[in-house]
Amino acid sequence: MGLEAVIRLENVTVSFGPKIILDSINLEIPSGKTMVILGESGSGKTTILKCVLGTLRPSTGHVLANGQDISRMNEEELLLFRQRTGMVFQEGALFDSLTVGENVAFWLWEHTTLQDEKVEERVRTLLRFVGLEDSIDQKPSDLSGGMRRRVAIARAMAAEDPIFMLYDEPTTGLDPFTSKSICDLIRRVQREFRTTNIVVTHDLTDAYRVGDIFTFIKDAKVIASGSRQDIESSVDPFIQTFISLDS
Amino acid sequence: MILDSVRNFITGFLNTVEDFTLMVLKSFRYLVFHFRMRETMIEMDRLGVGSIPIVFLASLFAGLDMALQFSVVMAPYGASNLLGKVVATSIIRDMGPVLASLVMSARVTAGITSELGMMATTQQIEALLVMGVDPVDRLIAPKILAGMVMLPILSVVGNLLGVLAGLMVAVLGAHVPAPLYWSGVRSALTLPNLVNGVVKPFVFGFILVSVGCYYGIRTTGGAQGVGRATTKAVVYAAIWILIANFLISKFLIDVWGWKL
Repeated sequence: MGLEAVIRLENVTVSFGPKIILDSINLEIPSGKTMVILGESGSGKTTILKCVLGTLRPSTGHVLANGQDISRMNEEELLLFRQRTGMVFQEGALFDSLTVGENVAFWLWEHTTLQDEKVEERVRTLLRFVGLEDSIDQKPSDLSGGMRRRVAIARAMAAEDPIFMLYDEPTTGLDPFTSKSICDLIRRVQREFRTTNIVVTHDLTDAYRVGDIFTFIKDAKVIASGSRQDIESSVDPFIQTFISLDS
Repeated sequence: MILDSVRNFITGFLNTVEDFTLMVLKSFRYLVFHFRMRETMIEMDRLGVGSIPIVFLASLFAGLDMALQFSVVMAPYGASNLLGKVVATSIIRDMGPVLASLVMSARVTAGITSELGMMATTQQIEALLVMGVDPVDRLIAPKILAGMVMLPILSVVGNLLGVLAGLMVAVLGAHVPAPLYWSGVRSALTLPNLVNGVVKPFVFGFILVSVGCYYGIRTTGGAQGVGRATTKAVVYAAIWILIANFLISKFLIDVWGWKL
């Protein structure tokens, strides 16, 4: 019996005027799995994340998460949905006026009535998990790119039980060692918190490190989706070129 | 071709008015139903207390200059005894609120737009949304309230400073006795004048903050986009303050009649 699909995109099309960003996209991400979306810059990868988050409504089609149609939710419903969804942005998108600890505590301050000691305890636990407990009082501007991504992951997990984790180019601009450590962290989050993940990247090495299912997007369309073996045995010239260039 | 441009301009303008109105209505809804005391106090400190030196400096020199100019104009008509009343009336009704607002728009509107603009271009605004927090609630509503509270306070204290500066010129330059100047000032403290002096900065405070927030949160295009948005916000805030100044003056004159 197959796993229940918790995120499903059905015929999702996003267009701005005559420009089509996503063209009839159909995807299914089973519970507890990580789908990696690969493709060139500007191919529409991040737009998929925006549709899943509900920050962008598709022109046509549906985005379903646990059976709920995100694309039809009102503002209040979306805010509730996003409270169970962690998102790690490309550069981390940490609040630069707050310290590392305050960034991680932000969700707890906003959505819980926990006392300060409990909040600090949770923040320290999360920062320990990503290996940055000593940086709790530092400002994001004092951190390296890799450290910022780690804090962003800790912040995204601040909700007691995030169901979905979305990563937008989590290793872009990082050196190979730091990239690997971020990929290992993404895997650890999935394993320990049993989250369902979408990772957007253009780096095949990192994709193989974190992914269970691989989807290629080209010119706003899905051209292939499947396991690593499926992708590597694809005869599509674009995928073959992508694989050969990466290796 | 020309018709298309006109149509695009009108559509763009109507969209801006709609988006701006929605943002403002949402802000007021949050201020009523989800008031954030801590954030509002922080913004009051940043927007208001931080602007004290420039507003006071501007008011001081405006008072000095106004008393100087009026004393030159009024002396040949033997009307120097009215100097206190004229200076105080001009400052309280018009010059004080407008000057404080324009000086503050250079600091506050520019600051807000660039801050929110940087947050927008580095995805911090999106991060707020994703974390289930409406940026209008967290960032905009407290700023708008802070502007509406702090500008009247700064403006009233600035007015007092301007009138005191006028006293210096009146006594030392125009040789008007201080008691005569003060009796003129006292006669200018009428209800219509005081209402003018409070209502205007209240509205201007709303304008300079909300315009800054509107352009800031919609910034796109990196550092260049932030620069463009900031320039636009400061210019539009200044223009709307001057337009609002005329409209409020007209309205209050219609209400009170030609009374000073």
